Amino acid sequence: MKAFFLKICRRRGSESQTKIELETPHVVSCWILVLFALAFAGNIFAADAAGDFSAANKFYAEGKFVDAAKAYEKILASGAASPNLLFNYGNAEFKSGNLGRAIAAFRRAELLAPRDSEIRANLAFVRNQVQGATVRKSFWQNWLGNLSLNEWTIFAAIAFWLTFLLLAAKQIRPALATKLKSATWIFAALTIFSGTILGVQAANHFSKQTAVIISAQATARTGPFDEAQGAFTLHDGAELSVLDRRDDWVQVADGSGKTGWLPVKQVEVLPDA
Amino acid sequence: MRFIPKIWIALAAAALLHGAVFAASFTASLDRDTIMLGEQATLSLTFEGGQSKNVPAPVVPGLEFAQIGNSQSFSIVNGAMSSTVNVSFSVTARQAGKFTIPMLTADMGGQRLSTAPLTLTVTTASAPSTAAVNSGNEVAFLKFEFPKNKIFVGEPKVARLELYLRDDVQNFGNFQLTSSPTDGLSSGKATELQGMRRRVQIGSRVYTVIPISMPLTAVRTGELTLGPFTASLVVVVPSQNGNRDPFFGQFFNQGEQKQVTLASDPVNVESLPLPAQNQPANFTGAVGNFAMTAAVGPTNVTVGDPITVRVQISGSGALDTITLPTQDAWRDFKTYPPTSKLEPSDQFGFQGTKTFEQIVSPQNADVHELPALTFSFFNPDDGKYHTLTQPAVPLVVKAAGASPMPMIVANKNSAAENQTPQDILPIKENLGTLETKGVPLIAQPKFLALQSLPVLAFLAAFIWRKRADNLANNPRLRRQRAVAQLVSSGLSDLKKFAAENKSEEFFALLFRLLQEQLGERLDCPATAITENVVEENSILRGASENTRNDLRELFQLCNQARYAPVRGTAELNSVAAQFEKAIGELQEVKA
Repeated sequence: MKAFFLKICRRRGSESQTKIELETPHVVSCWILVLFALAFAGNIFAADAAGDFSAANKFYAEGKFVDAAKAYEKILASGAASPNLLFNYGNAEFKSGNLGRAIAAFRRAELLAPRDSEIRANLAFVRNQVQGATVRKSFWQNWLGNLSLNEWTIFAAIAFWLTFLLLAAKQIRPALATKLKSATWIFAALTIFSGTILGVQAANHFSKQTAVIISAQATARTGPFDEAQGAFTLHDGAELSVLDRRDDWVQVADGSGKTGWLPVKQVEVLPDA
Repeated sequence: MRFIPKIWIALAAAALLHGAVFAASFTASLDRDTIMLGEQATLSLTFEGGQSKNVPAPVVPGLEFAQIGNSQSFSIVNGAMSSTVNVSFSVTARQAGKFTIPMLTADMGGQRLSTAPLTLTVTTASAPSTAAVNSGNEVAFLKFEFPKNKIFVGEPKVARLELYLRDDVQNFGNFQLTSSPTDGLSSGKATELQGMRRRVQIGSRVYTVIPISMPLTAVRTGELTLGPFTASLVVVVPSQNGNRDPFFGQFFNQGEQKQVTLASDPVNVESLPLPAQNQPANFTGAVGNFAMTAAVGPTNVTVGDPITVRVQISGSGALDTITLPTQDAWRDFKTYPPTSKLEPSDQFGFQGTKTFEQIVSPQNADVHELPALTFSFFNPDDGKYHTLTQPAVPLVVKAAGASPMPMIVANKNSAAENQTPQDILPIKENLGTLETKGVPLIAQPKFLALQSLPVLAFLAAFIWRKRADNLANNPRLRRQRAVAQLVSSGLSDLKKFAAENKSEEFFALLFRLLQEQLGERLDCPATAITENVVEENSILRGASENTRNDLRELFQLCNQARYAPVRGTAELNSVAAQFEKAIGELQEVKA
């Protein structure tokens, strides 16, 4: 970064002079310039994405759902996502008849905005169209899903900070110890509670995955190879627990406890929390 | 006693020599050298007397290896300890034939050791001959029966696999279908038909027949082969070495366990394509024999209102794959994807009722009826297509202006999921804030490091509190610090007075500082300090002679100054330096 910086500032004089200038207010102005350029580039990207988003919305309004889905997918391919973008993408895929892709999009949107009632409504609606066995979240999993993993992390961190800052305050001002006692216990309990939930959610995020069938029909096989015998059939949109992965195959379990192997290309794998 | 070290040396040498006998070894073994296609063998790699740097993974084309576990054991024999590590792999074959598992090499403590090559023969399962069955020599055997030799693609059928157990089998368990090839047919879960066990006589022996049902549906056309199905089970048969008396034998013979591998004869089935002739336009692939009922409501609506069409298709066939055909005659209606619910009446899902619910909404007020609903299927029993029709349903459709438009979409502020929506909610107009996919906070090292700050703040406060408490409970230490501070600031004042040539203030301050410092050292009030304490106090007697001389001289200078206060700046500076030196030495004296 410093080398890049020297290159920018070299126009101002000799290198030795520039090095001196690095310690002077000119450095600040150069940094501001760079930051401004970065912010401007970000704005350009956001403006481009907003334009593409409007174009995709137009396709959707005209009933060109496949084109709309492709347009939304193009924005998502840039690596950026927003709950609204994923929501619209899910709608377009649903209208195109791709239940699995729609469910995957709504689930990804739900991870970003877990309390958005519209995302939940559409996800529930699409799930009702899915045939065959599927894995459903328990009441507790749904309740924990009201906050995203990052929100649980921040909640636990705030409780943790407040607990220790209150403990520190009691050391600095012992006279406040009695007044702060209840608050300290409450925040300590909140820290333990949120920390436990955070542990569960983090374990779900990092170790558990869900596979959503994205092809019209998929045959789960008894082994991870094409010649293996078919174990059971799954339909578009079925949600399954991922048990294992091997090369281009995932081992899945459906809601009724049956297990089988599916090619990766027939599923979209999502984190559980 | 002097022989004891020699005995110890001798024992240690013996132990070392003994250890040398248990040199490191690496062996491989198979639990059996012949398996049937679809069965599993176990390959065990044993590392004895040392640790291997790596576990070699065997690679043989046509065989699949999967590590299933490892174990470690230690043994001490005559003082020599040896360890054994066992790594197990399951071996499955993709095809029949003779396979050689090549020499495997492991590095154990710098020593390269190899196993001997192993041979595994994989045979194709075959059923026992009729003669063998009739002779009664077979303890158990399998029979596979398929109800038809010609089926149509998509036609579901329940095949029957029968397990025959000879009458002398006392018990059996661990029944596992090791291979059930149903190429070209999709199969459901094989289950035993409850309450259908029977006994039959074959040759001179009586067998118990356990029927297992297997739902199958042809998914491609052509000549299809079912089986050979292979299974393994453990049977308990009377022990050959037990009591030979037939009377006592039936009471006291505990029997012996025997692993049995079974295979059925393959069955060929011809899968026929559905006839292209007379195929209805709205045929969507339903195969079976079905009946249809439909209900439509409400029938008095406004343009755009949802109307629910509930269609029930019941009968026998591949109900799971039935879909409601698109009704071309419904062009004046906006249709939404139907939902479906299957209620099977048998355990295989081949009989029962499938209910579809489809939402349609009229697009204009000219609509007067919901056109007839049709559903076509192919009946494999008579080999013909059939079309079921529900008559048109009269509707009263009012123009949209006559009454407010019904709210199909959910209110944003209401609990949308608690309602029964008719369609997905519409798209959003704003893109919202774009986020790039990042690592969750919980996995970011910087975030985790930040969480140490409150803990450090608490620790710092805790240490500070302990030190403050210590100071509060120790008046001597408190006075020591206060005096040190006073002397430190007093020294700068002394230098200031010297520079300004204020000898009176200089010596007054000097005397006070001497009193304070000596008072603190001697743990007595500062006002009680006079020149005499330098001579009398036992603590100061521990100080060096020079220090005491300096102190004495400083006291004398203070006394003289009362009578002749005027002195030069240079002299005052030298007195201040002398004071600083004496105080420094005094602070070193143990109080």
